[in-house]
Amino acid sequence: MRRGSIVALLGLALIAGGVATAVALVPTWLPEDASQQAGRIAFTFWFVIAICIFIFAIVAAVMVYAVIRFRVREDDFEDGPPIHGHTGLEITWTIIPFILVTAIAIVSAIVLSRNDAQAKDTLRVDVTAQQFEFTFSYPDAGNVTSPVLMLPKGRSVELYMRALDVIHSVFVPQFSVKEDVVPGLVTQLHVTPTRLGTFPLECTELCGLGHSLMRSQAVVMEPAAFDSWLKKQEKSAGPPPSSTTTSPTSTATSTTSTPSAAGLTVFNANGCASCHTLSAANATGTIGPDLDNLVSYAKKANRPLEAFVRESIVDPNAYIQPGYQKNVMPDNFGQTLTKSQLDAVVGFLVQSAQKSGNK
Amino acid sequence: MTTTASAQDLQHAPSPTGGWRRLLLGPGLLRGAWMFVLFGGIGFGIVVLIRWGASWHPILLTEPLVLVSALVSAPVGFLAGIGAFDYWVYYALGYPSRAEDHSGHGAQSWRDYFRVNTDHKVIGVQYLVTTIFFFLAGGMLALLVRAELAKPGIRYFDQQTYNGLFSVHAALMIFLFIIPAFAGLANYVVPLMLGAADMAFPRLNALSFWLLPIAGIMMLSSFAMPGGAFACGWTGYATLCSQHQPIGAIFFNQGVQWAGASSIMTALNFLVTIITMRAPGMTFWRLPLLVWANFTTSLLVVIATPFIAGSQFFSMFDHVMHTSFFNPVGGGYPLGYQHIFWFYSHPAVYIMMLPGFGIMSEVISVFSRKPIFGYRLMALSLMAIVVLGFSVWAHHMFVSGMSSWLRVPMMVTTLLIAIPTGIKIFSWLATIWEGKLHLRTPMLFALGFLSMFVIGGLSGVMLGAVPIDIHVSQTDFIVAHIHYVLFGGSVFTIFAGIYYWFPKMTGRMYNETLGKLHFWLTFVGFNLTFFPMHILGTEGMPRRVADYLPKFGDLNMFISLASFGLGISTVVFLYNMITSWRFGEIAPANPWRAMTLEWQVSSPPPTFNFDEIPQVVGSPYEYGVPGAQHAVLAPSKAREMEEVPV
Repeated sequence: MRRGSIVALLGLALIAGGVATAVALVPTWLPEDASQQAGRIAFTFWFVIAICIFIFAIVAAVMVYAVIRFRVREDDFEDGPPIHGHTGLEITWTIIPFILVTAIAIVSAIVLSRNDAQAKDTLRVDVTAQQFEFTFSYPDAGNVTSPVLMLPKGRSVELYMRALDVIHSVFVPQFSVKEDVVPGLVTQLHVTPTRLGTFPLECTELCGLGHSLMRSQAVVMEPAAFDSWLKKQEKSAGPPPSSTTTSPTSTATSTTSTPSAAGLTVFNANGCASCHTLSAANATGTIGPDLDNLVSYAKKANRPLEAFVRESIVDPNAYIQPGYQKNVMPDNFGQTLTKSQLDAVVGFLVQSAQKSGNK
Repeated sequence: MTTTASAQDLQHAPSPTGGWRRLLLGPGLLRGAWMFVLFGGIGFGIVVLIRWGASWHPILLTEPLVLVSALVSAPVGFLAGIGAFDYWVYYALGYPSRAEDHSGHGAQSWRDYFRVNTDHKVIGVQYLVTTIFFFLAGGMLALLVRAELAKPGIRYFDQQTYNGLFSVHAALMIFLFIIPAFAGLANYVVPLMLGAADMAFPRLNALSFWLLPIAGIMMLSSFAMPGGAFACGWTGYATLCSQHQPIGAIFFNQGVQWAGASSIMTALNFLVTIITMRAPGMTFWRLPLLVWANFTTSLLVVIATPFIAGSQFFSMFDHVMHTSFFNPVGGGYPLGYQHIFWFYSHPAVYIMMLPGFGIMSEVISVFSRKPIFGYRLMALSLMAIVVLGFSVWAHHMFVSGMSSWLRVPMMVTTLLIAIPTGIKIFSWLATIWEGKLHLRTPMLFALGFLSMFVIGGLSGVMLGAVPIDIHVSQTDFIVAHIHYVLFGGSVFTIFAGIYYWFPKMTGRMYNETLGKLHFWLTFVGFNLTFFPMHILGTEGMPRRVADYLPKFGDLNMFISLASFGLGISTVVFLYNMITSWRFGEIAPANPWRAMTLEWQVSSPPPTFNFDEIPQVVGSPYEYGVPGAQHAVLAPSKAREMEEVPV
C-alpha cells in the first residue's frame, strides 16, 4: 500500500470515529443511574461502545476510501488484480476480534457477578404480577402490601417474583435491572438503589391486552422514612393486607368505614381501574366493560344486580357483555380476595351502579 | 433423466377448451377451490361425528372445528385440487404415472405461473412474487403500527388489534418474506450454478411452494376471527399464547407449521441437489459461495425447523386440547416453550442471513472485478456459524428467569460467533480493495448491506454482553437491532439479489436510475427510521406497547414520519419491477460479465437450462486472471457468449 493511501485511510477512520463518537455522546442514551447495578452496567455499555466505534471506524474508512478511489466508469472493462487472499491478514482479523470479544466477556462476567451479589442485610420484597398489575409485599413486615415498589436508599434488595397468569417482567430503566416473572416459578431480581426519587416501573414482556398500561412506580426513600412508612402500613393494614391509602385513623376506618370506602380501596388495590371505567372511582379504563352501566348489563344478563356483580368478579367468563372477549379478566379473584374484601367491593359496585343508573 | 429432453419435447396440457368437465376436474385453481370446500366439510363432519358419538357437549365447539376443517383438511384439499399430489396419487393407485411427459414443466404464458409447475425457474419466480406480496402486506401492518405510535396515548386501535398488527407483521416478514424469498432466489439460481437441469425433486419443489400461500393467508385471515388476530408477538410465548388468547392464536401455530413444512422440504431438496447434481468438475471447493451459503442454510433448516414445529404443536395442544406442556397448573413449564422455540429461532436468524451472505459474495466479487478474498475461509466460516449457531439460543433468554449459571456460557458462544461473521465482513472489504468498482444497483445494495450489517452486528455484540442485555432487552433497542440485521442485512441482500438476477429471470433489464433512486430512498429512510430506536430503547421505552411515556413523544413522531418515507421507497421498487418486466430493454445473456454458470446460458435460460452439460474447470471467481475459465460449455455456446455486448 502506498503511503498516501494509508494517510487517507487514517484520516477517514478519524472522521468516521469522530462522527460515531459524537453520536454516542450527544444524545442522552442511558437514563441517569439510580442503583449500583446501573452504574456498572453503564460502564460495560461504554466499554463495548468504545470497541464498536473502533471497529466501525475501520470498516467505514475502508469502504468510503474504496468507493471513492476504486470506482470506475461504466465503460471500463478492465478487471482488478487477481488477489485470492492473504494468510497474514486473515489470521490478523481472526485474532484481533477474538481478543476484543474475550475482553468483553471478562468485563461482563465480573459485572454480572458483582451485580448479583447480595449484602447480608438484604431486604426481601415479594412481587406478584398478574394481568395487568403488580403487587409488592414485604414479608419481613407482616406482609404489608403496596401497589408501588417502596425501597430504602442504599440497601441491597432482592425481589422474589411470582406470576399468576402469563409471563410478565419488571423493569426500572434507572435501576438498569430487569427480570421476567414466570407462572410456576419464583424468579429473583437484585438491586441496590442509590438515588432518592420516583422512577417508572414497567412490564416489558408482552402480557396481553393491557400490556401497554401495565405500569407502576419504584419509590426510593431515605431508610428512616422507609422504616416509618413500613411501620405505619403494618399498623394500619393488619391481616388481611390490602390497604394502600393511609390516614391517621386508618386502624379505625378499616373496621368502621362505610362499605363504599372499603370497596373503593379493594377496587384500587386490585388494579380494576386499569381495565374498567367507573366514575365513583375516577377510573377510565376501556379494556373491560364500563362499570357505570352495570344496571343495564345485569338486565341484559337477566340476573339480579348483586348476584350478577359477584358472579362477574369470581367467574368472569360466566357472562360476557357483547363486544368484549372471554378470558381477558383474571378468573382468580375468587381466590385472591378475602370474603370481606369481596363483599366490600361488590357492595361498592352495586351502590355506585345504582347511583349512576338513577342519573 | 430430464436432462436429455429439450424444450421441443414439451407437451403442455392443452388449453382448457375441453369444456367445463376438464375445467372442473382437471388440476388447477378451480378444482383447488371446490376441493378446499369439500375437504373443509369433511373435516367439519369428522369432528362433529366424533363429538356426537362420544356425546361431548357442545357438539359444535369452535376451536376443534376451526382447527381440523379450516387449518388442516381444507388446505390439504386445496393442494390436492391444484394437483400437487396428482403424480403420487397416480403412482400409488397403479395408473400410468406419466413420469416423463413434462406437462407441468416450464412456462409459456402467464397462466403457467398459476398452476403446479415443476420447473425450478418458474417456482423461483412464483416464490419471489408471492413473498413480495407478503412483504407489502407486512409493510402495511408496520405502517399502521407506526401510525399508532406517532403520538403517546392509545389512539387508533384497540389493544388487541394493535398487538395483532405487530405480531402478524413480524410473522409475515419472517416466515413469508425473508426465509422464502431466499428460498425463491436460490431455487432459481442454485441448479443453474451447479450446471444441473433442475432440482433433485421437482414435484416436491412445486409442493413446497404451494404450502406458502396457505401459510400466509392463514396468518392474515386471523384478523377476521372473533377476538382478532394472534396477538402474542411472533415469538408466541406460553402461557399467553397457549392459554390466554382468542382463537386467532392457533392460526399462528398452524401457519408456522405450513411454512415450516415448506422450508424443510425445500432444504432437503437443496441438500440432495447440491450433493448429487453438480456438473462434472464442480468440486465443493469450486462451488460458488451462494451455493455454499444455501448448503449450510439447508443444514440449519433441516436440523432446526422440527423444533419450532414441536413448540407450536405443544402450544396449540395446550390451547385446544387443554394439555399441560406449558401450563404450570398441570405441571407444565412455561420456559420450556422458550428453550424449544429459540433452539429453532436462533438458528433461524442465520437461516435469514447466510443466503444473503451468499448473494453478497456473488455481487461484490462481480462488481469489484476481483476474486473473492479468502474463498476457503469464507466457506469455512459459514460452517463455523452453523455449528456455533446451535449453541447460543439462550442469549434470547438472559432475563427470562432461566437458570442464571447458563448466562455466561451462552454469552461466550454468542460473542465467539462475531469472529466468523467478522471474517466475512473483512474479506468482503478486502475484495473491494483495489478492485474496479461498478456501482450498479445490486452493488449499491451490497455496500449498503455491508455498512448496515456492521452496525447490526456491533449492536449484536452489545446484546451478547449480559449486563447490557439486561438493560436493553425487551426495549426498542431490540427492535432497532433486529431491523438492522434483518432489514439492513437480509432485506438489502434480497434487493441486491433481485436486481442482480432480474435480467436472468425476466430476460429484460431493470431501470438503473429507478434502481438507484430505490436504494437511496431505502437507505436513508431505513436509517432515519431505525437508528433513533436504539436511543429510545436505552432510555427505557419497552417494545410491543401502544402507549408510552410522553417524554418519548418527539422521537417517536420523527420515527413514524421517517417510516412513511421508507414505505414510499417500496413504491419505486414495485414500479421499476413491473414496468421493466413488461417493457424493459432486452437483456443480454451475461450483462455483468460474471463467470458463474447461470450467466453462460441465455436470459431467461432454456427450459432445461443447458443444452449440453457444462464441464467445470476452475474457480467461479477468477476475475483478472488471464485466460481463466470456470466452465467449458459446448463450443457453439461459448462462441455465442463472446459476442454478447456488455
